[in-house]
Amino acid sequence: MQEDLRQLEGIDARILAAHEERDQPLLSTLYREAALVLEAGGDTDAACFYFTQAYVFALEAGRVELADDLWQRLSTYGREN
Amino acid sequence: MKPPDFSVLARVKAPVEQARGLPNAFYTDSELFEQERARVFNANWACVGFAKDVAEPGDATPVTFLGAPLLVVRARDGVVRVFQNVCRHRGMILVEEPRKLKGVIRCPYHAWCYELDGRLRATPHVGGPGKNIDPSINRSELGLVEVRSKVWMDLVFVNLSGDAPDFEDHAGELIDRWAEFSEKNLMHCGPESSFKLDVQCNWKLAVENYCESYHLPWVHPGLNSYSRLEDHYNIVERGRFSGQGTTVYDPRLDEGGRRFPKFADLPSKWNTAAEYVALYPNVLLGVHRDQTFAIVLEPVGVHRTIEHVGIYYAEPGVAENNWDDLRRKNAQQWRVIFEEDIFVVEGMQRGRQAPGFDGGKFSPAMDDPTHCFHHWVASQFET
Repeated sequence: MQEDLRQLEGIDARILAAHEERDQPLLSTLYREAALVLEAGGDTDAACFYFTQAYVFALEAGRVELADDLWQRLSTYGREN
Repeated sequence: MKPPDFSVLARVKAPVEQARGLPNAFYTDSELFEQERARVFNANWACVGFAKDVAEPGDATPVTFLGAPLLVVRARDGVVRVFQNVCRHRGMILVEEPRKLKGVIRCPYHAWCYELDGRLRATPHVGGPGKNIDPSINRSELGLVEVRSKVWMDLVFVNLSGDAPDFEDHAGELIDRWAEFSEKNLMHCGPESSFKLDVQCNWKLAVENYCESYHLPWVHPGLNSYSRLEDHYNIVERGRFSGQGTTVYDPRLDEGGRRFPKFADLPSKWNTAAEYVALYPNVLLGVHRDQTFAIVLEPVGVHRTIEHVGIYYAEPGVAENNWDDLRRKNAQQWRVIFEEDIFVVEGMQRGRQAPGFDGGKFSPAMDDPTHCFHHWVASQFET
């Protein structure tokens, strides 16, 4: 748990930096990374929040395969259609 | 200010021999300018810009036309489309500056995402954090509002009311008249081939001045040296367009005799002819054997117009470095000619403040193209 929190804090810091740079491809990667940590920790709602963020930036960056994968994950959880 | 008496428009629509021009209020009254937004521009096919500004799939450029926020997009299939530049969620402006879109259009407010064909692709957190769906949100009903549009001669035309006759019905006679140019790939060739002029006059005065040759000897003495008044002819198509042509187009840009390449397969008429037509309401066009240009009139206010000029050539090779100097010289020459018109259109604008001015009297021989435009504008106020 502590390790997860430390990991998330690190990712969050990198997310903020990526927002400053308006780096959509990196934002889609980092939000997904954070989502996977939360998913592994059993926090589905928080994970889906981060998967959604990742999905939006993947769509904007034109990262088609990543966007499709994220849509599948969110659909599996009933958060997309 | 008291609204104008539209019964005076009957005098505008009289035959040119008896007619008077549009009353002063059509050039000075803000309320009438607002009415023109609906009656003249939204109800017809207004030109809002150049397709070259969205040259590649994924290119998007915002255009504000008479206050309406529009977004011109070249979709992935290469087709240019125009949408209202407004998110269907809370009405936020989607795109503020020209952009190359690698993926979707993402609203900067709540990140609703739209495909380049307008479909609503994603509604993040619309059902709560991490829940992107809601029973009341039907994405198929909430795509971008598309505006009827048409690209012709690399110009983007829109019909905001949605119910104008097809573009081909409005411009068909001009498309046919210039069929040889209509089919061509017009090459823009670079930033020196675009410029803007900010003119303190009502947009209609720019149209009226452009479509007559009567002023050439006095306002454009340089042109008159090789294209005399008697070499010009009127072009009048009631309810559609008007302008003038010349039979002696003979540009002399280069002392060494270099000339731009000609458009292929033009009928022999175009060896020496050139035509200049105002397609109503707001685009001024010129066609020549070696180039075309368009002046898109942006009515900024009742007293102010921005003229957006784009020059096009016949072959992609004209974009190469060896033509740089001639393209610059050509653009500068056109700029000088268009700038020569500024004092007359601004002078006419100031003249419209004269209380007794009756709209003016037309020369049947020389002002028929101008009267044709006045007649068309008056007709837009009939109902």
